Amino acid sequence: MIKIKNLHVEVEGTKILKGIDLDVNAGETHAIMGPNGSGKSTLAQVLAGHEDYEVTQGSVDYLGNDLLDMDVDERACEGVFLAFQYPVELPGVNNTYFLKSALNAHRKYRGESEIDAMDFMELISDKIKLLNLKESLLKRPVNEGFSGGEKKRNEIFQMAVLEPKLALLDETDSGLDIDALRVVSNGVNAMRNEENATIVVTHYQRLLNYIIPDFVHVLVDGKIIRSGNKDLAIELEEKGYDKIIEGIKT
Amino acid sequence: MKAIAALTESFESTLEIEKDGIKDLRVKAFEEFNKTGIPTRKQEYWKFSDPSVILNIELNHNDSIIDIDENYDLILCNGKIVKNQIKSKTGTVSEGILNGLVEKDIFESKNNPFLDLNNAFAINGCYIDLEKNSESTIRILNLVNNEGGEQAVYPKIIINAGKNSNTKIFEEFRVSGKGTNFINSVMNVSMDRGANLEHVILDDYADDTYHIANIYAKQKKDSNFISHNFSIGKKFARRDYNIELKETGANCDLNGLYFAANREHIDHHTTIEHIKNNCTSNEHYKGILGGKAIAVFNGRIHVHPDAQKTDAIQNNQNLLLTDDATIHTKPELEIYADDVKCTHGATIGQLDDKAMFYLRARGLDIDSARRLLMRAYVGEIIEKISDNEIRNQMMDIMIDKLPKGDE
Ligand SMILES: Nc1ncnc2c1ncn2[C@@H]1O[C@H](COP(=O)(O)OP(=O)(O)OP(=O)(O)O)[C@@H](O)[C@H]1O
Ligand SMILES: [Mg+2]
Repeated sequence: MIKIKNLHVEVEGTKILKGIDLDVNAGETHAIMGPNGSGKSTLAQVLAGHEDYEVTQGSVDYLGNDLLDMDVDERACEGVFLAFQYPVELPGVNNTYFLKSALNAHRKYRGESEIDAMDFMELISDKIKLLNLKESLLKRPVNEGFSGGEKKRNEIFQMAVLEPKLALLDETDSGLDIDALRVVSNGVNAMRNEENATIVVTHYQRLLNYIIPDFVHVLVDGKIIRSGNKDLAIELEEKGYDKIIEGIKT
Repeated sequence: MKAIAALTESFESTLEIEKDGIKDLRVKAFEEFNKTGIPTRKQEYWKFSDPSVILNIELNHNDSIIDIDENYDLILCNGKIVKNQIKSKTGTVSEGILNGLVEKDIFESKNNPFLDLNNAFAINGCYIDLEKNSESTIRILNLVNNEGGEQAVYPKIIINAGKNSNTKIFEEFRVSGKGTNFINSVMNVSMDRGANLEHVILDDYADDTYHIANIYAKQKKDSNFISHNFSIGKKFARRDYNIELKETGANCDLNGLYFAANREHIDHHTTIEHIKNNCTSNEHYKGILGGKAIAVFNGRIHVHPDAQKTDAIQNNQNLLLTDDATIHTKPELEIYADDVKCTHGATIGQLDDKAMFYLRARGLDIDSARRLLMRAYVGEIIEKISDNEIRNQMMDIMIDKLPKGDE
């Protein structure tokens, strides 16, 4: 699905990603773990198309196309979805209206007509149940005044409505209480199939008990220093990053 | 000075009208106007908007009418009543004065030459007398029609809101035909005790139009004046609000939304006179500017010594879509009482990059994302309109007229 080759990224002249190689196939779930500031969100943002990040080397192939050549909205309509670590508040933009606009943008891109109002309401009520979302959040401005957990849940709710091919979940677990973690994880799992793929960025092994990854990668200082299966996450949790980094060096 | 010559000639020809009834008041007003003439940029309140551009056109007074019937209760064409289905007492300005329903003090000079000039040409106009305890919704079309050429028009609307009357007015300013217009409009509102008046005004775009508008309101005890002012850019537009809170418990809300693009110029000066105690005022103006547009916002709040317990809020926000657009925003507070609450704020910003990225990351293209954010931005003002129908209508119109960045 996505092939990242030797990806180097800078922000305002500072090198952040220093040669990332990562292959994710349809049907797979990959977890990326790593210390604060190692570049996890940068990777997610670059894949989503954020213009502040400058790709200085490398390539990203997404379903046979050059991902780096596409605009932000084009990537989204082609099925790339970033669940933000810090979802943005949009004062005055009604959550339902926003969701409908996003869905219709995808439909327009695919050459389909705008969604019928009844069909939309039906879709929404299905997804609300899936994520056990408070219905009142739909009537409020996007993310404004939402609690940390509500914001994260709202991200996954959007994902459920837009049904992406490649989901990038940036610390979706942070800020969720134990019950919410389970609900959100179940939601993500329910969306997984042989046609799509998920990359989850997390600090905690706990999430990976719910969303079980096929691969775990450790990102340190802009490079993937180790990859393994789900047991690597357990090892990390036990030893901490320092030990793993040392282990690589010696 | 062919403009002034045309003006004087136009004025003199209005003196030949018989049964005018207020000739002496008009003559005095014209004399007042002539003392200063059209102001220049040297005057503080005209610093950013040069009204002398008006002198480039021939100021031939035109009050010719066209046959027009649309779904409005009152239609004025070039200041003259052409349709009137209002149930309250109405008529021309001179009729209002002659039968004592309009006070002569509207002819007082207030150091405003444009008010004097409008008064000098007050041969038509309209007064609306809203009876005490009455409830009404009135739709007004203030049409300026030009058959081609250069013309000056002086629409005038006088509103007397009787005791405890409750009124909603929707007024649309529209320019039709072709040619260059100087519109010098005045609205005088006087509000008796406990009167409520919500005034929505839409001043729509027209090329080649210079519009100077003055709104005067004086308010008695516990009256409530709510104004929603929607101004869509013009070659040169200036709209002033002068509100006098003359008795205790009076409140006014001044809400405004202005758009300008290209090389349009739009200027709002508001003055709220807090004269007596326990009055409130709430002002919120927002603008969106594109192209090389210039906008001015000057908000003056004058708290007189007797106006203890004044509560005044003022806020002006501006969204600049291009680097070439300019906003001059200035609060002007003069406070002579000590127990008052007065807050003001002004912001100038661009569309939020983070919000743009978020929307685009959800699939919206740049144009749709911008429009969605602008819709939210203008919604805050439009939502203040209490009438559902008028609010929805204004939402549709303003969304349709959102300026594009590069124009
Ligand atoms: N727009 C930016 N401008 C300047 N520096 C940036 C910018 N974005 C990221 N950085 C820097 O790049 C580095 C990597 O940041 P990134 O957000 O990718 O880390 P992270 O791995 O997601 O960390 P965390 O676990 O804390 O979320 C940090 O040092 C950060 O300060
Ligand atoms: Mg991060």
